[in-house]
Amino acid sequence: MSEIVWIPLSDLAHGRSGDKGDSFNIGLIAHKKKWLEILEVSVTPKLLDEWYGDSVTGLISVWSMPGIGAINCLLRGGLGGGATTSLMLDAQGKIWGQSILRMRVPVNRKLASELGVSLNNQSENQWDMSHII
Amino acid sequence: MAVSKSNVAVLAEEPIRIGSGGGFWGDRPLAPVDLLKSDDLDYMMIDYLAELTLSIMAKQKRRDPSSGWATDLEIWLAAGGIDALRKKSVKLVTNGGGANPESCARMVLEQAAKIGWHECKVAVISGDDILPRLDYLLKNGEELTHFESGETISDNGAEMMSANAYLGAGPIASALEIGADIIITGRVADASLLVGCMLHSAGWAYNAFQLGLTRESPVVDWAPKHITNPLDILAQWTIAGHLIECGAQVCGGNYSNWDEVPNLAALTLPIAEIYLNSDVKITRGKGGGGMVNRKIVSEQLIYEIGDPEAYITPDVVVDMRNITIEDESEDVVIVTGAIGKPEPKSLKVSAAIEGGWFASSSLLISGPNALARATACDLALRARLSALEELEIYTEFIGGGVTLPKNIRQQLSPILNPPEVLLRWAATSPNRRNITDFTREVAPLVLTGPAGVGGYGARTKPRRQLQFWPTLISRKSVESLVKIEHLTHLHITPESERFHFIRKRTRGFISRLQDELDEREWTRPIVKKLGWERNDSIADLTILKEKEVEI
Repeated sequence: MSEIVWIPLSDLAHGRSGDKGDSFNIGLIAHKKKWLEILEVSVTPKLLDEWYGDSVTGLISVWSMPGIGAINCLLRGGLGGGATTSLMLDAQGKIWGQSILRMRVPVNRKLASELGVSLNNQSENQWDMSHII
Repeated sequence: MAVSKSNVAVLAEEPIRIGSGGGFWGDRPLAPVDLLKSDDLDYMMIDYLAELTLSIMAKQKRRDPSSGWATDLEIWLAAGGIDALRKKSVKLVTNGGGANPESCARMVLEQAAKIGWHECKVAVISGDDILPRLDYLLKNGEELTHFESGETISDNGAEMMSANAYLGAGPIASALEIGADIIITGRVADASLLVGCMLHSAGWAYNAFQLGLTRESPVVDWAPKHITNPLDILAQWTIAGHLIECGAQVCGGNYSNWDEVPNLAALTLPIAEIYLNSDVKITRGKGGGGMVNRKIVSEQLIYEIGDPEAYITPDVVVDMRNITIEDESEDVVIVTGAIGKPEPKSLKVSAAIEGGWFASSSLLISGPNALARATACDLALRARLSALEELEIYTEFIGGGVTLPKNIRQQLSPILNPPEVLLRWAATSPNRRNITDFTREVAPLVLTGPAGVGGYGARTKPRRQLQFWPTLISRKSVESLVKIEHLTHLHITPESERFHFIRKRTRGFISRLQDELDEREWTRPIVKKLGWERNDSIADLTILKEKEVEI
């Protein structure tokens, strides 16, 4: 049995997103403050890069906000030029804070169960999309 | 009943209560009136300006010198708002003056005159608009480099359509100090609207006046001597402003656990309660729906921010990392732990240059293999326009996973089989003609594409895009202006015909909203009363509505 399992982000955190020029940020707040240590390890710029692929063209930053048990992700170059010139329907990136909750994130099975994170939707495969369809 | 408190002794006992009247120009127009009536406030703040709102307002002002401000303000002031502000002694602070705070203030004075509030003092805060001085500034060392792309204005060569520096809290506090009842500003940073109120209420502005400090001086220097951590206090106030500036979004709107929010339909607006020890509590208006809790306020804290170590405003740079948000009681959370660092040396400027032409259009596609049909439609449209140069078309298959990143969508597409797809195109070109040609090719697909295509409407009109140009300017290049207007000094400039028409329509809207307010339900079948059933054109409906307004 693998030590790392992949769970939907929605089982770990809730979020909100918004725009700044051609960038958007996604704030992800752990459902329980003590889950921040899992969130911090799971959601890395590399993971976000894998999820967004070509949809984000610039640098990705992730910062921790321990006071509220959250991380803030800034994704640059993801809005097709920004609200005023973008050709995308959601030019302000409002939807990304909810859409990302379907991304699978890696968690340590033992630590996650110790801290009470639900593993009901776990998968061995990062790209298992059965929870989306 | 709330009265304006401007001495520290009062502040020690009970908090200053600042309500937020909404989150943007276009938010629910009557919500501020409900909040004023249901709650006792010291101030109401409203942030009407998103990053590019001012460019749109500047465009309006060029067409008509009396326009260019947030017309929503007139709607709710006329629908009982101005009366409520006066009766309950609530000071209104808003950046809804936009590109034309002077004209906006005139409208406010007209509203005050209508209810006999002749002593009403309206402050106009300007100086944010640097466009008239642009050449001078560029010649004198300001480069106004685009802070995302690094491009300079001279490199780009495009004409600047609007350029507004973000003013801070200083001018607002000055205006309150000289007795303003209503403060109408141009581009003031969202959170500074609240900080300005606190500088006045906590006695800092009075102290600054005593010390002879100017309103452009760092507001941290305004703190009375016994205050040991003025930067942290400014940081707490700034966070309070940030938390309520988006209106109902901190009362359960746009919340991940939306299904837990009671009575979303009647969502109330937020109130920040600020104590002398700089504790900040966030709560909401009485009655109505919504809720305030730790999770909701946390979502708002993190909304539209970058590096949490440096949330930058003109007044202070806030380190948010150790802010804690705890539930205190039902619908009350307490926010502590913001750390302040000295104000930035530069001010942010939101500018805009003219962009290309734009139009968007959509069609509804149904039937077996709806996605394949939509793809065929898209290919046909592109083929028919392929001769045009400099035309960029972006296609979205809505229902086919557009809210997932492209690579995820591609993984899913073989197994997706939506019952319908909304096919949406957006096109841009430096050439207006290309966009017109694009809009002409959409509706024909109903007859000349696959079966199952519907939902076409009138051709959309090409519109000019504005390109956002965020940049920085040194503080010394920007000076705010505070002017108090009251009725004896009121000059009503003749409104041009066009704006008069808009205002007339607004007033019609007001009367409808007033009825709504009185009846509390949408009972008036306006068009029915006028026998509209027999007319089937949209143009007729517009005319009849205008007539209704005249009556």
